[in-house]
Amino acid sequence: MNDLLRKIADCIEFGKINKAAPYPPQMKGQDGADELTRQALDEGVKAQEILTSGLMVGMEKVGIKFRENKVFVPQVLMSAKAMSTAMIHLKPYFLSGEVKQKGTFIIGTVEGDLHDIGKNLVSMMVEGNGWKVVDLGTDVKAEQFVAAIKEHENAFVGLSALLTTTMVNMEKITKAVKEAVPGAKVAVGGAPVTDDFRKKIGADAYSSDPQGLVEYLNANV
Amino acid sequence: MKGLELLKKAFALQPVERVPWVPFVGVHGGFLIGVDAETYLKSTDKIVAGVSKAIEEYNPDGIPVIFDLQLEAEILGCRLQWALHNPPAVVSHPLAEGKTLADLHIPNSSEGRIPVITEATRQLRKKYPDLALYGLITGPFTLALHLMGTDIFMKLFEAPDEVNEVMDFCTRIGLKMSEYLIEAGCDIIAVVDPMTSQIDPVTFETFVTPFVSEIFDDIRKKQKLSSFFVCGHAQQNIEAMCDCRPDNVSIDENIPLDFVKQIALKKGISFGGNLRLTVVLLMGNEDDAREDALACLDLGGKTGFILAPGCDLPMETPPANIKAVTELVHDSYKQDVVRELEKKESTLDVFNMKDYGQADKVIVDVITLDSESCAPCQYMVEAVKRVAPQFEGVVEWREHAIKKMDAVTFMSSLMVKNIPTICIDGKIAFVSQIPPKGELIAAIQKRINEKLKLRIKSKRSEILILGEDAAVCREINAKIQRAITELGKDVEVKVITDKPQMAAFGVVKGPAVVTVNYKLKSEGAEPSLDVVKEWIKEL
Repeated sequence: MNDLLRKIADCIEFGKINKAAPYPPQMKGQDGADELTRQALDEGVKAQEILTSGLMVGMEKVGIKFRENKVFVPQVLMSAKAMSTAMIHLKPYFLSGEVKQKGTFIIGTVEGDLHDIGKNLVSMMVEGNGWKVVDLGTDVKAEQFVAAIKEHENAFVGLSALLTTTMVNMEKITKAVKEAVPGAKVAVGGAPVTDDFRKKIGADAYSSDPQGLVEYLNANV
Repeated sequence: MKGLELLKKAFALQPVERVPWVPFVGVHGGFLIGVDAETYLKSTDKIVAGVSKAIEEYNPDGIPVIFDLQLEAEILGCRLQWALHNPPAVVSHPLAEGKTLADLHIPNSSEGRIPVITEATRQLRKKYPDLALYGLITGPFTLALHLMGTDIFMKLFEAPDEVNEVMDFCTRIGLKMSEYLIEAGCDIIAVVDPMTSQIDPVTFETFVTPFVSEIFDDIRKKQKLSSFFVCGHAQQNIEAMCDCRPDNVSIDENIPLDFVKQIALKKGISFGGNLRLTVVLLMGNEDDAREDALACLDLGGKTGFILAPGCDLPMETPPANIKAVTELVHDSYKQDVVRELEKKESTLDVFNMKDYGQADKVIVDVITLDSESCAPCQYMVEAVKRVAPQFEGVVEWREHAIKKMDAVTFMSSLMVKNIPTICIDGKIAFVSQIPPKGELIAAIQKRINEKLKLRIKSKRSEILILGEDAAVCREINAKIQRAITELGKDVEVKVITDKPQMAAFGVVKGPAVVTVNYKLKSEGAEPSLDVVKEWIKEL
């Protein structure tokens, strides 16, 4: 594998944004995701390859480490920041259609709930794994999810909630989405959510960590 | 023993007779008195009424005055979005929106909603002098996150000094808040810092430990007790949390209770938790609540354990579920019942009870834990024992003590949920309450009557009049009807004039009379030849 791609993957895994970034200490003074992505493109590496063999590789490692409690939210956010810095260079190739995404994932924190840390983490991870993410924000009502899935055919829907009192809205939203688009797949997650709850409300997937969702999506492309 | 005393004992890791129980009633108090979350959290009177109602309903040993991690943030300029069924949410973060620490100040005791809770604390203190009042303060890391927004996570790496300054400021606020709450009468200060569940142990020790330790030390100096509440996946930090020297750590269902127990006791502090908030308390039923509470009680043990929900009770938690926990906590006999059931339920076969109660006698089943060791069970068995002989052999009674496996199977086959229960011919008749003699007799008599009626019905017969001549048939019919009336029998009479049909009964020439007895003899089984012969003799 291209040495540059391996380095890019490392930058994502360890959250090295650019050369000036002090974090992580062991990579101080080295080029970050920003510089290395530019270099790779300049050397003629295909954008698709940078995404698949560089960024996604790093992101997957972070996802696994997060699941295994080896890193926590702050580290994941650093990785995501490195990722989005790299993505700026790739943006034109997405727009031109040269880089293909696996599918579309619609995500939002459910009605009544304004918490977005979990939702943002998931959307970063999913995006970092080659999906187009449509982020509806927080306090999202059933109609908004329905409108979004009608607009993005074959998209997967993800519902996030932090509050025990708002997670119950997931049931209503799941029903509305499935009524509007029979066969639509709905994934749920958030601190109070469990797989038992997922079964109870008739949603399709639950994962206690973002990587689990990524795996579910990838398995259902 | 009074609640506060009991909690002090548990905090001191002395063995207790009964595990102390602290329902974390926040806006749920509003639900109990029928007001929305916003009205509730803004009113001293409502808080006092809600907490009083909770104390009345849930018989706790300790209770929080309020559960609101936005109170300090609101005073510091975070915008709140209020909700009807939830505590408010912080929607703006001053330090991420141009403000600096120099623009913020440490709240004095008359700012924001501080007087609302300190006054509520004073009134509750007076009203319930023996109950432990928990004063909750927002933990410094969670408060810092309110002030900085999620930027704080990246600044841990990119601008650690800035984070430290904000943490220090939030610690000063925590110290002040605990001072106000202690002065107002709180016994236990809980530092609630759920956001620490999102960071790793090294980050925790670097950015959280020095600050919260200062708050816990200060509370100890004031000779009050302290607790460290986290919710969420904070398993990685439990040890670090204990090292901050609180008197207690309290956790939710995301962390196994035995894991916390092991670490906390090793570190010499008490621990609490972790009733499951959503699946059980909010969405489950009373049985689920009892089962979960028992699991906590059994895991927690009677040294250093405080039974509590994992976190703030969802507003609309059904009170019946919390009451079920209350009952269980205060009644070791109920704990035995749930324990026995749970042990056995997983391996249950259920009997087919379709034909139960069809025998001639009336069967009375008493389902007990064990009438020898359980007083209510004993009285219920005695009630039946006294009444049965009066029916002179018509009533048969049995005790099923669920300490035996087949009794448990029998119990679930009859769908009995409570102990003790009396079933009459397989139907649940009396649950938990010992019936007065008259009622029990009446219930059994009713069943006897029902059976008698059924029997009479099942003996219903038919008489067929077969003949070509309708006039002759009418004449015979009139005679038969008269006979039926005189004998008081319930017999149906049919007239058949069709030749082929007559022939089917072996009648060549009318008139003829055939009696038919339609008593059901067997169902779903092949009777033996001897049995069939007996039936034929009856005809």
